[in-house]
Amino acid sequence: MKIAGKEKAWEKHHKHVPTVDEPGGKKWGCFRSCFLQSAAPYTEGIAYKILKNDLGIDLREAPGHTSCGAIGYHGDVSNLETQMVMAARNFSVAHHELGVDNLFSFCVTSFANYTEVIKLWQEEPELREYTEKTLKETTGRDFWIPHVCGAKPSVVHASDVFFANRHKLAAKAKYSLKGIKATDHVGCHYAKIFPDHSMGGAEFPQVLVGMLQAFGAEVVDYPERRHCCGMGFRQCAFPENRDYTAGSVYKKLQSLKSVHPDCKLILTNCPGCTVFLDAEQGTIKEVLEEEFNVSILDYAQLTGLLLGYDPFKDCGLNAKAVAIEPLLDAIGIPYDRSKSAEERRRPF
Amino acid sequence: MGKLFDELKKDILYQHGMNACLNCGVCTAVCPAAEFNDYSPREVMSTVQSEDDELIEELLKSDKIWYCGQCFSCKTRCPRGNSAASVILALRRLAIRHGYFADSEKGRQQLIAKRVFGENILKRGYTLLAENITPAHFPELGENWEYYYEHMEQMREWWGVPMNLENSPGSHRVVPEADMEEVRAIYQTTGAVSLMDAVEKGMEQKLGSKAEVDKYWKTWLETGDSRNYEIKEYEIKGE
Repeated sequence: MKIAGKEKAWEKHHKHVPTVDEPGGKKWGCFRSCFLQSAAPYTEGIAYKILKNDLGIDLREAPGHTSCGAIGYHGDVSNLETQMVMAARNFSVAHHELGVDNLFSFCVTSFANYTEVIKLWQEEPELREYTEKTLKETTGRDFWIPHVCGAKPSVVHASDVFFANRHKLAAKAKYSLKGIKATDHVGCHYAKIFPDHSMGGAEFPQVLVGMLQAFGAEVVDYPERRHCCGMGFRQCAFPENRDYTAGSVYKKLQSLKSVHPDCKLILTNCPGCTVFLDAEQGTIKEVLEEEFNVSILDYAQLTGLLLGYDPFKDCGLNAKAVAIEPLLDAIGIPYDRSKSAEERRRPF
Repeated sequence: MGKLFDELKKDILYQHGMNACLNCGVCTAVCPAAEFNDYSPREVMSTVQSEDDELIEELLKSDKIWYCGQCFSCKTRCPRGNSAASVILALRRLAIRHGYFADSEKGRQQLIAKRVFGENILKRGYTLLAENITPAHFPELGENWEYYYEHMEQMREWWGVPMNLENSPGSHRVVPEADMEEVRAIYQTTGAVSLMDAVEKGMEQKLGSKAEVDKYWKTWLETGDSRNYEIKEYEIKGE
């Protein structure tokens, strides 16, 4: 019964993302994340290295592409109309300036925002007309809609590209997660808004689980697995609201600890979750004197570690609230033991 | 039915977010914000569905609409295909346009949203910038983050993600001025600039002057907590 439910969800929510061995899978246009470039720039750094060096992808981005603006949309400084034209501008820049057809974003909120406007253009022809006309008037650019997943108008998320190529990456990996318990935390904006556009839907998303399994981990489930991390845009951005974020993280980690106290790895694909599921463990430790010590890694950081990239210089694990060394020891990944923990993190 | 409801009904976010709500409460059951605050998306949907302007105005003046974390867990679960988080977006814009946002503590935080997210994108093409993540406002990021923040450019070079490159791809690039002009034209034409202006104007009306608004902003910048700005509620309450 359990398996049948999961299989049904998979059939319903499967999207095809081309691997590097399939047509269209070797050349991608990508959109940067303003959240990552501000709070965790190294995650895009290691993602780039893997996509280019290990998968041989021709990765293109225009100097003139911008934020999708969706932090300002969910943070209430822009309108849906703004989001539609900004998205159309980025699509147009990628296609007409860089000659790319397949696009992914590094941020799950950008992914949801692009998916939302693409759906609106399909469902409401007058909104498409509005966007086309306003784009031309404000920028002189021509409207174009991407179709990554076959005939379906769509863009995908960077973790989808990693998922599509997971077996190739696992085959190249120097280390494995055999014997390691792990779980996923899929960003709300990856699966909850448009389950049909996520890999596996909202209840049994496969995008991160598939990677963990390919790398040999034992994937565990826990009651609050699908609870939001509490990033919340205006909630995490303003310190006075961040009790909401810390409370959400506490609820999740308590739930994980209650059923799998030996699970010390959560894999993420959302910038907000990657930063706050870790950082709020620091707050909880200070305020409640309770430690969870669960390492929070995003899909590119984990893949980088397993491919043999340096945990600090390449994967950027310098500024985590939870020290990475115990997990590196458990996996068997070497690091410079002649230096102190602080020296490893502070190169200058 | 009244004027506020009529205006709300015209918003596409409302049209797509509200079909007919049976008030089952599943949205509130799964809502992370309902768990931590005096907030219930079920109550919001019920109030809006009443089409009663008095109740809607009261809601727009309250903290409630600002508690939503925009995770959209409610949208996934609603058996009637509603999206309370989208209705919240429509209500927040209505509250800003009418100045009601300035009546609540959480609503007034829109000044911060405007001056951070809004001005960032108009100046740099990004809603968030590296300098926003200060150790003072994000103490939980710890001492290693403080070290990073002090060595920001060097650390980014070391990680292979140099910042502020011009006419180049890359993390935290300088978006060319010609592209920035396009962004500003889009924000102007699609009403985002008016929405941001309404925030400044609403705050000025509530706090009494531009200087007071700047004081509110400075208090937040310096202490990380807008509640340290004392609002003279009593004088305004009689209006």
